[in-house]
Amino acid sequence: MQLTKQQYYWWNHWMIGTILILILVATPLLTIFLKLFETPGTSWEHLAENLLFGYFKNTLFILAGVSFFTFLLGVSSAWIVTNYQFPGRRYFEWLLILPLGFPGYIMAYTYVGLLDYAGPIQSFLRNSFGIQIKGSLLDIMNMPGAIFILSITLFPYVFLLARASFLQQSKTLQEASSLLGKNNWSTFFRVALPMARPAIVGGIALASMEVLNDYGTVKYFGVNTFTTGIFRAWFSMGDAATAIYLAAILMVIVFVVLYLEGLQRGHRRFSANNSMTKPLVRIKPSLGKRWTLTLICTTLFMVSFFVPLMQIFQWVWLTWEKVIDHQFFVLVGRSFGLAAGVGLIIALLSVILLYSLRLSPFKWLKNVTKVSTLGYAVPGAVIAVGIMIPLLSLDHWIIASLPVGTGSLILSGTLIALVFAYVVRFMAVGYNPIEAGFQKIGIHVNEASRLLGRGTCKTLSKVDLPLVKTSVLSGILLVFVDVLKELPLTLILRPFNYQTLATKAFDMATNEMIAESANASLIIILTGIIPIIFLNRLIRKRGLLGKVGNSE
Amino acid sequence: MTILALHCIDKKYSESEHYAVKDVSFEVRQGEILSLVGESGSGKTTLLRLIAGLEHPDAGYIKLGGQTVVEGKKSVPANKRNVGMVFQDYALFPHLSILDNVKFGLKGKVNQPEKKAKETLHLVGLNENFQKYPHQLSGGQQQRVALARAIAPNPSILLMDEPFSNLDAMLKDQVREEVRQIIKTTGVTAIFVTHDTRDALSTSDRIAILHKGYLQQIDTPKNLYESPSNGYVANFFGRRNEILATPTNDGFYSNFGFIPDERSKYFSGKVRLLFRPEQAQAKKNPNQPMSGRLVKQVYYGDHQLLHICDDDGKLVYIRTNPYKEFTEQERIFFSVKRFGVEEAF
Repeated sequence: MQLTKQQYYWWNHWMIGTILILILVATPLLTIFLKLFETPGTSWEHLAENLLFGYFKNTLFILAGVSFFTFLLGVSSAWIVTNYQFPGRRYFEWLLILPLGFPGYIMAYTYVGLLDYAGPIQSFLRNSFGIQIKGSLLDIMNMPGAIFILSITLFPYVFLLARASFLQQSKTLQEASSLLGKNNWSTFFRVALPMARPAIVGGIALASMEVLNDYGTVKYFGVNTFTTGIFRAWFSMGDAATAIYLAAILMVIVFVVLYLEGLQRGHRRFSANNSMTKPLVRIKPSLGKRWTLTLICTTLFMVSFFVPLMQIFQWVWLTWEKVIDHQFFVLVGRSFGLAAGVGLIIALLSVILLYSLRLSPFKWLKNVTKVSTLGYAVPGAVIAVGIMIPLLSLDHWIIASLPVGTGSLILSGTLIALVFAYVVRFMAVGYNPIEAGFQKIGIHVNEASRLLGRGTCKTLSKVDLPLVKTSVLSGILLVFVDVLKELPLTLILRPFNYQTLATKAFDMATNEMIAESANASLIIILTGIIPIIFLNRLIRKRGLLGKVGNSE
Repeated sequence: MTILALHCIDKKYSESEHYAVKDVSFEVRQGEILSLVGESGSGKTTLLRLIAGLEHPDAGYIKLGGQTVVEGKKSVPANKRNVGMVFQDYALFPHLSILDNVKFGLKGKVNQPEKKAKETLHLVGLNENFQKYPHQLSGGQQQRVALARAIAPNPSILLMDEPFSNLDAMLKDQVREEVRQIIKTTGVTAIFVTHDTRDALSTSDRIAILHKGYLQQIDTPKNLYESPSNGYVANFFGRRNEILATPTNDGFYSNFGFIPDERSKYFSGKVRLLFRPEQAQAKKNPNQPMSGRLVKQVYYGDHQLLHICDDDGKLVYIRTNPYKEFTEQERIFFSVKRFGVEEAF
């Protein structure tokens, strides 16, 4: 033991990694924020005068509508499934989560196809009853339609969190309530619902994030919101500064939503302080009521998942010979490779961040590191713009400083920009389960290893990593699925003529090839279902949603 | 020979909190077993972690084996200190077999880690099933593996954080003695943290008592028990009676009666007589110097505790064998064999 082995106690070489990663990940958000103080672009005035109010109105209207309907659908179904015994209850517990696997934009054009003149419903009516309807059975390509589509794909967020909360609530509390003379309804409104409020609002906040992120649905339905505005400013007007301005406003809306979500928690505690929760004894209603509950859940499942999925299967059946060729396999391979690659990168960065945090003596570092997960709350279009700007100026700088002009852009418009954006946006998705994994194994095994003479790297590879392996894998899986279905960010940042499953499906659908697009959609949906089932098992075991970035 | 020296160590976890450890200095000699005792939050575990290099002190320095390992903002990292540690939850690596756990800290082929690991496991009393995994063992066995893992690399000092707290009462007495034997066999210097005074008294060569981050007293078990430096230390090891008394020429006079004692000459004002319940003897025979009224007797199986009260209602507690029969409100006569005297004001 020599004095030369001394070093500054807070220093470990993992700190360099942390600092670099944090700078990298925070750049896009900071860019947007800083640009807010510069003068807006040339078309800003025109936009502010004619369009901005509409963007505001539409965005807020959709937010309000989706919040209301996800609350209604999510909470009622969660309450039914946790508190009543009825045929099929066990299956609905996870069947009702499946709609999460349906990206909004796919659901949108599937429903348009379903209700179309050539769709199965009208064909059925025509052929069986001779009923002729001009155009669509029900015009959903408007605001209420967008609210409907987004609500049925996003209500599982509320369902999941509300159910987890209802499950955690001590049965004795509800028993106490009924002993105090309250009936079931009254117990629900005065005990169960208030106690589940943070979870429910958390679910609605998640759904709201998705609504603000959505581009495919509103674009397809022709509803102008902030996201479509950003695209319009960026692609049609070529006015980056205006796009940034819109992005900045959208980011402010996001933080307001997050702030309200945090505010409603206040200082109240919402969990009963005993771990000895009695096993839930479900109420067994009368036969008629039981089947009514089954019917309610079945209808919800049919509308939100099964019918659209069947429609997609039918389309695939009709078109697969035409669509599935060599190129399609290349597309699938490319999308999967991209998603897996991003998953791996995020897992790597998360492990570096979290391990550095684990070794650091500074407690405040934990909050700083959380900055890296902010991207999940920020809409893809905003991140895309925030990445484009610094990369473009970096490119110009490189071109200007190179002696021989290459003429082409080096970073922007390449895969690097796209991967970078995915990492910023989905960091939280991978980070949170890995963080939970590290927390679960505790710090003592790590300390024990270091006291036995192993350095920090050896300790990571021999002790920590083997122990958090499953968490890392689940992090990668969750990122994989999210990248696979991501649309707006990919549309803005993809290299020229570069297609992923999501963009291909969206392009085909918008080009009147809905049936053909179903092939790509089906792959996205089926891969999306895997982690949902896996997530559900996690909740059953721990009553926690590892994926939720901003709920705690 | 001094193996470990702490000098004026301060440690605060955050600005707003109290000191976890404040101005603590002590030395540990080669081969000694020292226990750190205190209530929860007294800073004993923090002290252990400071020695191990898992935390960094705000002030002071630490010397280990003659080398300064912590000074100012610099420190020798934990993995270079050659310190062995047994964690309260044992912190065995769940993905490694018992043998691999013990082998973990043994480096290099030359030293024959496999052989050394097996020897150490034999030493702690485990002779088979080295391929089992930690979760397949009982709590007592897990503790032995943790001990073997910590001592296998021949650490210069062995630290144990609440080593007996996860064991049930029956097992605890046995394991405590075994651990002491193992430590003494290997000759390693050991520091262990405990809140259990019985553990500390029976296992250690010296005991350091911490209270709210401050070191109260460090001494042998016998000295600590019999001449505590202050009331906190005294009461920490069990009840201590305090009787107010007036010194006379040849003894002390109190409400319970007169005790002859030569020390009375040295005092002029009121004094407190201090003694533990077992340092007094209760008799029915009135031929004793002191007496009081029995207000309560509590039966503990191996002894009983008499609550005896003077005319003002002040209580003393006297421990006596459980077979003696007394009736409540009876007058009890007692003598005090050994007691301490201190000035009352």
